[in-house]
Amino acid sequence: MSNTKRYWKGLDELHNTPEHQELMENEFMPEATGNLLEREGLDEGKTKRRDFLKFLGFSVGAATMAACETPVTKSIPYLNKPEEITPGVPNFYASTYFDGTDYASILVKTREGRPIKIAGNKLSTLSKGGVNARINSSVLGLYDSARTAGPLKGGEASDWATVDAEIAAGLQKAADAGTQIVILTETIISPSTKKAVAEFAAKYGENVKHVTYDAISASGMLEANEACFGVKALPVIDFAKAEVVVGVGADFLGTFPNAIANLNGYGQARDPKGGKMSRHFQFETNMTLTGSNADVRTAIKPSEAASVVVALYNKVASATGGNTISGGSTEYEEVVAKAAKELVAAKGKSVVVAGSNDPAVQTIVNAINNLLGNYRATLDLSRPLNLKAGVDADMAQLVADMKGGKVGALLIHGVNPSYSYAMAADFDAGLAKVGLTVSFGDRLDETGSKVTYLAPDNHYLESWNDAEPRTGSYSLVQPAISPLFDTRQWQESLLTWAGNNSDFYSYVKANWSELHSANGNTELLFSDFFNTALFNGIYDADVTGEAPVFAGDVAAAAGAIKKVPAGDIELELYVKAGIGDGSHANNPWLQELPDPISRVTWDNYVTMSPAQMKEMGLSRLERGDFMANIVEVTVGNTVIKAPAYPSPGQKYGTIGLAVGYGREGAGKCADGVGVNAFPLANGGFSVGAASVSATSEEHEIAQLQSHHTLMGRDSIVKETTLEEYKHDPKAGNPDEKLYVSSAGSSSHGGGHGDAHGDHGDAHGEEGHGHEEAAHGEGHGEGGHDSFLPVTDVNLWDDHAIESGHRWGMAIDLNKCVGCAACVTSCTSENNVPVVGKEEVRRGRDMHWLRIDRYYTSDMTEEKAEAEGIGAIDKFSLMEEAAEAPQVAYQPVMCQHCNHAPCETVCPVAATTHSDEGLNQMTYNRCIGTRYCANNCPYKVRRFNWFQYHNGSEDFSKNPANDDLGRMVLNPDVVVRDRGVMEKCSFCMQRIQGAKLQAKKDGRKVADEEVESACAEACPTNAIVFGDLNDKASWVAGRARDERSYHLLETVGVQPNVYYMTKVRNVEVNEA
Amino acid sequence: MVPLLFLQQPKNGLKWPYKVNKNKALVNDRILKGSSSMRLASILFSSLILLSSFGAFAQDGEKLFKQNCSSCHRIDDQKVVGPGLAGIEDRAPSREWIVKWVQDPDGMVASGDEYANSIKDYSPTAMTAFGYLEEAQIFAILDYIANPPVEEATADVADAGVGEAAGAGSGTLDENVLRNILIAIAALLVVLVMILSSVRKSLTKLVDAKTGETTIERGTWGSITYWLNTHRGWTGVILLACTLAFLRWGVGYLMDEVGVYQGYKPEQPIAFSHKIHAGQNGINCVYCHTSAEKGKTAGIPSLNVCMNCHTYVQEGPSGTEEIAKIYAALDYDPVNQVYGDNPSPVKWVRVHNLPDLAYFNHSQHVVVGKIECQECHGEIEEMGVAEQHSPLTMGWCVNCHRETSVQVANNEYYEDLHERTPDWHNGEAITVEKIGGLECAKCHY
Repeated sequence: MSNTKRYWKGLDELHNTPEHQELMENEFMPEATGNLLEREGLDEGKTKRRDFLKFLGFSVGAATMAACETPVTKSIPYLNKPEEITPGVPNFYASTYFDGTDYASILVKTREGRPIKIAGNKLSTLSKGGVNARINSSVLGLYDSARTAGPLKGGEASDWATVDAEIAAGLQKAADAGTQIVILTETIISPSTKKAVAEFAAKYGENVKHVTYDAISASGMLEANEACFGVKALPVIDFAKAEVVVGVGADFLGTFPNAIANLNGYGQARDPKGGKMSRHFQFETNMTLTGSNADVRTAIKPSEAASVVVALYNKVASATGGNTISGGSTEYEEVVAKAAKELVAAKGKSVVVAGSNDPAVQTIVNAINNLLGNYRATLDLSRPLNLKAGVDADMAQLVADMKGGKVGALLIHGVNPSYSYAMAADFDAGLAKVGLTVSFGDRLDETGSKVTYLAPDNHYLESWNDAEPRTGSYSLVQPAISPLFDTRQWQESLLTWAGNNSDFYSYVKANWSELHSANGNTELLFSDFFNTALFNGIYDADVTGEAPVFAGDVAAAAGAIKKVPAGDIELELYVKAGIGDGSHANNPWLQELPDPISRVTWDNYVTMSPAQMKEMGLSRLERGDFMANIVEVTVGNTVIKAPAYPSPGQKYGTIGLAVGYGREGAGKCADGVGVNAFPLANGGFSVGAASVSATSEEHEIAQLQSHHTLMGRDSIVKETTLEEYKHDPKAGNPDEKLYVSSAGSSSHGGGHGDAHGDHGDAHGEEGHGHEEAAHGEGHGEGGHDSFLPVTDVNLWDDHAIESGHRWGMAIDLNKCVGCAACVTSCTSENNVPVVGKEEVRRGRDMHWLRIDRYYTSDMTEEKAEAEGIGAIDKFSLMEEAAEAPQVAYQPVMCQHCNHAPCETVCPVAATTHSDEGLNQMTYNRCIGTRYCANNCPYKVRRFNWFQYHNGSEDFSKNPANDDLGRMVLNPDVVVRDRGVMEKCSFCMQRIQGAKLQAKKDGRKVADEEVESACAEACPTNAIVFGDLNDKASWVAGRARDERSYHLLETVGVQPNVYYMTKVRNVEVNEA
Repeated sequence: MVPLLFLQQPKNGLKWPYKVNKNKALVNDRILKGSSSMRLASILFSSLILLSSFGAFAQDGEKLFKQNCSSCHRIDDQKVVGPGLAGIEDRAPSREWIVKWVQDPDGMVASGDEYANSIKDYSPTAMTAFGYLEEAQIFAILDYIANPPVEEATADVADAGVGEAAGAGSGTLDENVLRNILIAIAALLVVLVMILSSVRKSLTKLVDAKTGETTIERGTWGSITYWLNTHRGWTGVILLACTLAFLRWGVGYLMDEVGVYQGYKPEQPIAFSHKIHAGQNGINCVYCHTSAEKGKTAGIPSLNVCMNCHTYVQEGPSGTEEIAKIYAALDYDPVNQVYGDNPSPVKWVRVHNLPDLAYFNHSQHVVVGKIECQECHGEIEEMGVAEQHSPLTMGWCVNCHRETSVQVANNEYYEDLHERTPDWHNGEAITVEKIGGLECAKCHY
């Protein structure tokens, strides 16, 4: 079966609206150019044309005069240079990122003492060198000018001596009064911090309580595991070993704890080489990152999730001889049965995960995994994960105690309950009754502005700490810079108030001496032990835990399932890949990161099924002005207004809304962006019954979906099924051929490109075998015409591509899950500016790397033809079939064509080809004609419409526009000026750096020594970078693979980026 | 002996290859073979000096002193680590005693020598043994101490010191003279023209008066326009010539000079002299500019590097003033040898300013390309005040990349690349250009 799907990037493309067609014809949106000289105030200003010319003349003159003067630049060396710092040479420090949600062992790149880039630590046995978008953006959080400069008392600047004295007195008073002293934190995985908390508790007596509260709670799983196994922790899931994966409302690639390790394992299992890859069933409400990668995705309502789990349990139990339980009738009988059958067939090599926060549901999930023998195989609880520890009931109890006046002092670290707690009003009411309130937060945000004392904690890049993410696996946090502000590590604050004046570095070290003595190697000095761990960033103790035995009561659990209220419309909250729980909402890189699914920036919105929006008469953003209707969502007494956004794949009758937005007091990038959805989360993210009503208001949406279209050409995403792949590894990826007329007529010489324009719509994506036949008929009479492989047809003189280096990239579409870690990594490495919502709306986003997301439609061209459906009706039918689309992600950056069309049109030779296969962009030569962007078939060039770094208010959110934010810039990459074109350089600075190191060492460049920023960040190794002329290299091996192809191969530009066919593990009727 | 080698090499070894004359034309007088043979010659020459030096200790008292003694002693009476050595022969019992003391101070003390025991506990540290110094050598040192060079240093300061900064960019004497002569000649010509014109006027009047005719009085401007009108062809030629001259000398000059600061020689906060350090004392460039072999910048040395020597060398040829600035910056008390807690950095004026858009890496050129510092920085060891020797224009970079051969030999990276690129060189020398050294993105990204 050939690929008969039609892909469309957005509803407006699907509907082929006139606006869309116009957009497709224009590389730059008309609004963009129109606005250039019509910016507000320009026409109202007093500057007349003549004045302007006078100023122009003067400034040219002045500049010329000034140019004759030698500018005096000062060079200020160190007084006493630290031994390890060489100006211009980066240092790397191993450290650990953990913020209560994401964990990764990381490497911090510093230049002249300032951290500029976060990369994964490949030595880690847990995160395995992967990071996600939030982690590699966290370096910008260090340079956040919204951070408070020092301790505050009642919102006013204070000093540590005062604050320490008053807090210590307040604590003593609370202890004397016999009221509770509560330390409220996110999950703490640091053994040393736990010890510091214990020391604090010892000082102030029995009334000290430590309450753990997670904004994204895993309470259900923790309680279930405690009940079933006696372990209040999470299992380590080995997706690499899982042949069948079933997820029920579980975004295990996106928001689960340890998602980075999950991604790595999942990526390994998605390799079809050898005819075997994992099969993934997903039942979910919103289209999540995980669900969009599933082989079989079934959209369900939040209220149905529990029944699906029960049904699955019953099916598995009856097949494996377990006891069935009551309930579990669903309308998804068929697919549940299929999933169960395959799970049973893959006993011990499968995984079932659910996202529910109900302990009863999680108990049943545990029971399924137990029946399948997955514990000790794909699920490991012998050395469990400690990444979540918060139990919802503890927090509820705390709020009750606070309101009851039982709490005398509250110390808050790492959490923001006034924002993220569902009943924040209750919390705030309780807070007012607490005698002493202290926050260790770094700004006057929702909670920070309500406490008396703000004792700001260091940023993690300024801190010492340790972590035990998994029992027996340790990692260390070390500072990469001195504290920028007058802040103090919160552990040190705790210890100070407990009367211990030790600095936390010594404290951690002292604590690690226990690990050292447990190490068993008596000859190893402690300093060597500690320094090795510090250098590696991690330390895995040689411990093997006892795997606990399942002892859950399934029948009781079945009866205890908390019903999610059902309704005509049901709400499921979700967490976005970029913003997460909102604690990093002031990070502009994350705000401007397009959501992988919706491709929307700077907003959250109510996701709805397109069919439902049509029924409700809501704008589906087809008009081209990207105005969305605002809807009112009511759950109980809570009403929230947010724009409605169409999301194919969303279950009809459900809506989704992302948390993490609508911050207050968090900073200029976070405040007022989107709405806060946490107040709806009473009882978990699966809210259930809600009502939605349209309003007359509209909201501007900044989406990247319809920008940068690929001009309607296909042969972009190639895909096949595992069955077909097994028969023929080139399935779905036939050799591209061009029709060439021997008559030499120029109109035919263009070959496929022209022909496709004529026949594309009529024949759809039929694979090029079909195209061949079509052309054969069309042009057969000529007699001399022939089909030639694309590589034989050439308009250009070839570069000597076989000699020297040829840098290239191979992207396995099967491994790419769309997580967007590459996008922020690229932003961070290459000083990509943040342009803000308004500019994104004008289509002027600057990302060098975008991840195109394509939906499929079940409606095919053949089907329409067979059923005699006309061209006009066809598209509306496609829409109705779009309820369950398949999704493909495709990262697209400059393809570094060997025959680059951009190079031939540049009038000033600002973009040229290198001997090493790179398409070079020379900013200082560019005069901004933008011809190159117009001539680029991949639409990967970005134009600097403005000076994004000149201090203008319009771009105040750009880090380069801020004295502090500027510190994050990579000094090896130029900050581009207004009026020049820019694009992916294949991380030229890294290539040059690695080559130089090899030359200095007098050796060859090793494979994988040069890694582009995107390849470095990729947690699934979907992106591989290297020298294509080094035949033994990883990238060359992938390029030779049968699945490899080029984007738009028939254009004949011979890119150096290879894509690999996506293989879906689906049966024919599922495709 | 090493410092001597270094001192000699730049003087007699590599010649500066790209002499930039006034018209900015690049003259390349370097042939690869010639260069290495010159280097060979330099080494031979240095060795000759070395060999001869062993035969003539007496003349080398100064050198021996500097090599062996100067880190602790001065030749005047000022204390550094050890006592100042002026008048040593008056203090010590005898020359022979001094020889024994220098060769084996511990032995002298052990032997119970009275004077040796009286000085053995000298603070902060006792005398180190120099067993390898022979009697004749020690005598040479003593001769040197007894007859120190007479104020040679002050002469040095005059041409190595601060004064030079002011004259930055001005032409040579010859040029100035030439220009003055030209101006004088031009002035003479103008005067001549005016005189001739008035003579002519008077003559015309006389003739008019005689003949009774009236010559049309056009005035100076009138005559010029009349002439221009009657000689259209010539007018065109003159206009064209003027335009061309303006373009070439006016605009062209401006364009050439914009952003080019060749000869830039700013005054520095401390009058540091490369001539004294790199030239006279033969300190290797990378002793201070440590990162030239590691990173993209050569690095301005931090003050702790200065203090490696200037803890002991408290007075230079120009006196103590400039060195005291180091101490002031570090808040260092040289008498008690303690550092204060109020240091302030030295704000040097950067001499070589490459625009941000150009990436340049010292280690690439110094370590991989094995280029001498002097090739770009000129005879820095002769400069009292550091100046920008090369234009640092892109044309200058590119020209060097065109002409310089890659050091392929003994570098596996290049050997491998060479193997993979057989068609690139066609038997000719592999220049930087041939391996992509002229490509834009090699320096601009």
